[in-house]
Amino acid sequence: MSKITVAGVRETVRELLDYSENTKKRNFLETVELQVGLKNYDTQRDKRFSGTVKLPQVPRPNMTICVFGDAHDVDRAKHIGIDAMSVEDLKKLNKNKKLIKKLAKKYNAFIASEVLIKQVPRLLGPQLSKAGKFPTPVSHSDDLYGKITEVRSTIKFQLKKVLCLAVAVGNVQMDEDQLITQIMIASNFLVSLLKKNWQNVGSLTIKSTMGPSYRIY
Amino acid sequence: MVKRGRGSIGETQIIDLQVLQDRIRRQPESHKDEFLGQFQHYLSLKEILNLNPSGFTETEQFMKQINLIAHVCVVYPAETKNFANDLGELLVNHHTAIAVELREKMVQSLVQLTNRQVITEEKLIQILFPLLPTTNSKTFRKDIYTTLVRLLKNANKSTKAPKLNKSVQTLLFTLLESSDGPAAAPDGLWAAKLTRELWRRSIWDDARSVEIMKLAAVHGNTKVSIAGVNFFLGEDRDREKAMRKKRGLDSDDSSDAMSSDDEDGSTPSMSGLKHKVGVNKKTGKRARKLENAAKMLKKKEEARGLEAHLNFSAIHLLHDPQGFAERLFSQTLSRSTGNKHTLEQRIQILNLVSRLIGVHKLSVLGVYSYLLKYLTPKQRDVTQFMACAAQASHDLVPPDVLSPVVRKIADEFVSDGVAPEVAAAGINTIREILSRNPLAIEQDLLQDLTQYHKSKAKGVMMAARSLIRLYRDVAPEMLARKDLDKFSAMERSANARAGIENKKLQYGVENVVEGIPGIELLEQWRKEQGLDDSAPDENGNVESKEDEDAAWKINISEDDDEEGWINVESDKEYDVSDAEGDDDKDSDREGNDENDDSDIEEDTKKTPEEPEAKRPKLDPIQSIMATRILTPADFQKLEELRAKAGLDKILHGGRAAAAARHQDTVDASGLIGTRSSKIAKEERLEAVMEGRKDREFGSKKGKKLDSKPHSTTNKEKARKKNFIMMIHTRDIQGKNRKSLRDKQKSLKANIEKQKKYNVKH
Repeated sequence: MSKITVAGVRETVRELLDYSENTKKRNFLETVELQVGLKNYDTQRDKRFSGTVKLPQVPRPNMTICVFGDAHDVDRAKHIGIDAMSVEDLKKLNKNKKLIKKLAKKYNAFIASEVLIKQVPRLLGPQLSKAGKFPTPVSHSDDLYGKITEVRSTIKFQLKKVLCLAVAVGNVQMDEDQLITQIMIASNFLVSLLKKNWQNVGSLTIKSTMGPSYRIY
Repeated sequence: MVKRGRGSIGETQIIDLQVLQDRIRRQPESHKDEFLGQFQHYLSLKEILNLNPSGFTETEQFMKQINLIAHVCVVYPAETKNFANDLGELLVNHHTAIAVELREKMVQSLVQLTNRQVITEEKLIQILFPLLPTTNSKTFRKDIYTTLVRLLKNANKSTKAPKLNKSVQTLLFTLLESSDGPAAAPDGLWAAKLTRELWRRSIWDDARSVEIMKLAAVHGNTKVSIAGVNFFLGEDRDREKAMRKKRGLDSDDSSDAMSSDDEDGSTPSMSGLKHKVGVNKKTGKRARKLENAAKMLKKKEEARGLEAHLNFSAIHLLHDPQGFAERLFSQTLSRSTGNKHTLEQRIQILNLVSRLIGVHKLSVLGVYSYLLKYLTPKQRDVTQFMACAAQASHDLVPPDVLSPVVRKIADEFVSDGVAPEVAAAGINTIREILSRNPLAIEQDLLQDLTQYHKSKAKGVMMAARSLIRLYRDVAPEMLARKDLDKFSAMERSANARAGIENKKLQYGVENVVEGIPGIELLEQWRKEQGLDDSAPDENGNVESKEDEDAAWKINISEDDDEEGWINVESDKEYDVSDAEGDDDKDSDREGNDENDDSDIEEDTKKTPEEPEAKRPKLDPIQSIMATRILTPADFQKLEELRAKAGLDKILHGGRAAAAARHQDTVDASGLIGTRSSKIAKEERLEAVMEGRKDREFGSKKGKKLDSKPHSTTNKEKARKKNFIMMIHTRDIQGKNRKSLRDKQKSLKANIEKQKKYNVKH
């Protein structure tokens, strides 16, 4: 496909939603994912890119978050109903690789209070950053709830070992317009990251967790 | 058989066997008995060889038999099914004892058998590979090695042969593992060598081969481990070189200049050619040569552009880099293991470890304290250690771990007592570290260092300036007010007045691009153009279909901006700048890089007063990003607008950009900084003079003439003739009668000539 239009995207989104709503309804909330294939991208000559963009809606509301905090932040987190761990809890892990891995697996993202974040590499070792889940800092003056929503609605594009990548941009409970907005922001941002913009994009596909994939570019 | 008669019998045998081979090919059935006879002969010879390999005298005879059987064994598969195995066994058991030619013949026959698909490639490799580390004959090793490489190359020629590759890789793995241990043998070296060669030729480019090298790098034997380490450090360069060579050979090089230095790439040869044209006599042929070379170069460049294939460097393909780096570090570098390695080797390993840390953002906290020991000006190869320190830093290293390194470098290298090169190297290293992790320095120290920008030594001054430039981008709040650029200084004072606290750098916030920088500008511009579809285009776009198509077409004709749709747009853009103010128009008119400063100044005039108006916070849902898909034309426009608004500074100089700017590797020689051209020239001249010392100049002919008595030439006579006798000749008179202009001309020419002569002598 040589170009991508809003109308075309609308069409495919409608199809996708129709499939997951009517053809085969699943027992869980399906995520909608944007899959990207790159082309003409030399990973050695061009710098590998990474970037984050904040979407208007939270793509995955069920994303689990854990707060590493001092007493104040732990209290605040408990208050909103978010899992929290204090320094003592972290020390209890005792740098045990397995336990830390388990912790990293259990949550999708981490937030750490400003005073604590510098100790994170010492306390937890490399496991968190290895999993790409290095915590985001939060200070006492920040609104913790706002920060959590921000973390939840931020998506990250990062090129790994292969020339394709995928990000969750929404779920099937969103309505059409919301989903289109999410997809457009994500794809526009991705294209802006690339050195030769659209010339670097091989394909764009959207797909719900269990549904078939639809090519939009 | 009598020894005396062997030669003659051999002669007849050759013919016999050749003829037999020929006949068997034509009529296999009718010559079966003859063949079986020969085969029996071969078997008996083999028995003899088995019994007494070193005393075996029938080498030639045996070789011929083998040759025959290898050639015709396809015809009699049943009779000869053990032939390959036998050969393999013989080789494995007696390769040290038997004659060199026989050995070669056996390998050759085995390769032949694989080519005819009598035995599989795996089988051949299984036979040959174990010989590689065990034999002590250099030629034999080389033979096997080249055979293996060629085999794998051919197998992977059209498509990759994953099965064969995998089995070979498994062999290499086992070789490495079996030779590892307390008494590690250098056998594994061959595994490393083979892998490196295959990687260099891009025959292997998967993660598994990288794993082999990883295993080699942590091998107990120093030779093997250094081979592994060097692979990771140099493989990109290796592969690129091989590629370039291949490409150079593929394209037909008629001009000698192009093929002369393939190693250094074609650009220097081009410049060399240009130089030659400038210096030598100008002829049409030379000009054409240059033209051809330029054409060739362009073609090559284009070919390179096309060949944008995917090749990840080995470091990126590593599985579990953290474990690898930790193991390398603890095994070879930490103090408990003792000094098994020389300094060079330690530097190589450290280089790899630090590169791993930088690329994968690992946390190996021991490295930094290890480096501290070596960071003194007196240390040998200290620039290498400094480069390692810079490579090993990234934004996830806790600042309190990294800041001692920075502090140490500042203390040891940057003080008033040291030589300017040392100070420059120190500041440059600190800059490299800080560009990766800006938090690793305290404000006081940073401001101390920036004061060196007034240093008299050029290198130091430039290093300090670049440090200031870096912090203007990443963390202007840490600089003293006088070091800020105008823009940030005014922003800071505006903020101070308004009581807003400056945004501070924070640990753990990754330096990545957030959102599309300057997107508001595009939106604003579209609104002013009346292009914007404030109601999101529901069905069918507000814009006409043609416009859309044109906007996408840039995709195809990227090169020529000067056509169609875009051109119209750029006309309109001037209107906008009129509306915005005269300053912008000025900068447009100049339209080159030199107006950078003026751009910034404009910004400083405008922005502090109306920062909100300029970049209004947009509701993301309504923003252009969400309502339309940005076409290539949009992106082009965005670029333009950004450049005009001076946002380029933010884009190319922001935190994220600063993070993206640094390379994975730090060049140690680059840290010393620039040297003054005067010194460089003196050194160069010295080297030239050194080279000229033992050489003689002047023509051979002249010297020969001088050495013996000889008659004078007419030219000489004319030169030496008494002037009085010449005064009335036309040549001289002509000079007197020349016009003033001509006289001046010749005088000038004479002066020039004299000057040149004086310079030469």
